[in-house]
Amino acid sequence: MTLPALYHYFRTPLPYVQTLALQERIHQLQLKQRATSSHKDLLLLLQHRPVYTAGRRQSEESVQDERARLTNIGADFVTTARGGELTFHGPGQIVGYPLIDLSRTSPPGRVRDYVCHVQKALELHLLEAHGIKHATSDHTGVFLDANTKIASIGIQVRHRLTTHGFAINITREPIPWFNQVVACGLADVRAGSVEGVKGREIDVHGEIPGLVTRVGRMLGREFLPMNLAEEGEVGEAIGAAEKEALEAGDWAKAPVGTESE
Amino acid sequence: MHAILRQACSARPGVVLRPQMARSRVFRAPHLSRTLVTKRYTVEHEAVEYDDTTGLGVVCLTDHAQSSLGDVVFVELPTLGTEVSKGDQIGAVESVKAASDIYAPVSGTVEEVNEALSSQPGLLNKSPEEKGWLCKIKLSKPDEMEGLMSEEAYKASWA
Repeated sequence: MTLPALYHYFRTPLPYVQTLALQERIHQLQLKQRATSSHKDLLLLLQHRPVYTAGRRQSEESVQDERARLTNIGADFVTTARGGELTFHGPGQIVGYPLIDLSRTSPPGRVRDYVCHVQKALELHLLEAHGIKHATSDHTGVFLDANTKIASIGIQVRHRLTTHGFAINITREPIPWFNQVVACGLADVRAGSVEGVKGREIDVHGEIPGLVTRVGRMLGREFLPMNLAEEGEVGEAIGAAEKEALEAGDWAKAPVGTESE
Repeated sequence: MHAILRQACSARPGVVLRPQMARSRVFRAPHLSRTLVTKRYTVEHEAVEYDDTTGLGVVCLTDHAQSSLGDVVFVELPTLGTEVSKGDQIGAVESVKAASDIYAPVSGTVEEVNEALSSQPGLLNKSPEEKGWLCKIKLSKPDEMEGLMSEEAYKASWA
């Protein structure tokens, strides 16, 4: 059975903090609307403005030096309640936030299966859209080889509603930013991208339809494009975030004052 | 060992038994008993085992919950002395890049937390309802236990 669900793709890179607030707002609405079974499963797809984010087990104290250093090179720094550790998001990387209710199915979906399905969707996309085979790894996320990671997963589950999601590097733009940190706590792992493998330019926007289909296939949902005007408070909140992104202006195209590759 | 204790329970219902915490059975001792330990469940996959003599409820995640989560790598526990209301977020469990929030199954004060989980989060997989207990809450509204699910109802909720 495939459940109808909606997706929205933001064409302009979004500031992280506001997008986190948007996820939070939608989560609260889904929780409220679930009482009348009127909540919908959603998938937000976007790029962020350059930002480093820390995971749930990283205390403010443990990241304060990194926060100072990384904001200095032109990125934002935000601590979050998702799983996983430090990572980077920025233009050239597609971030997906599936905001779905794991208890829609009977029996309810298991958290580990959900993470596995998201990972499989990313692997499937790389293979079907680009002919890129992933390497097997003991770690969660998608690896090109033992030391190169192309996609990451970090989620939060509250009352069986998911927030946060996945990130997959499409262009080379995120790589110099990743080179500034130890991402996901893996010291000997570097970031890879679709462009890096294919050796040619890849259009980020062009990835969206295929990615939506494959995420939907793996999660057992059919994601249809959202008409913001028809989606009430959720639609309004998404529209407002989009407007804010347009007004935010330019972002740092590479780490400032560092020797990037 | 447990089987012997259980037998002891049914054979000598009048004796005050102080069963070890976090047992999966519901102890329904008849009228002469002074200690009643009941275990109830929430839809969020928490269990609380309440001892009406001490007034303490031992909170844990169910075995079903740990199997749904996968390998636990980090447990966020509540702060000692925190007053919680039923349904408040009191911590989280991180597994396979997923942080799942934990909620207070009952209202009260956090009297003890399982520090062993800080260094051995895997206890939550190996022994979720015994060695992997999360915290002990001094119940401020013991009546809330009545509103939680029995083991049978809980199992039916996800089976």
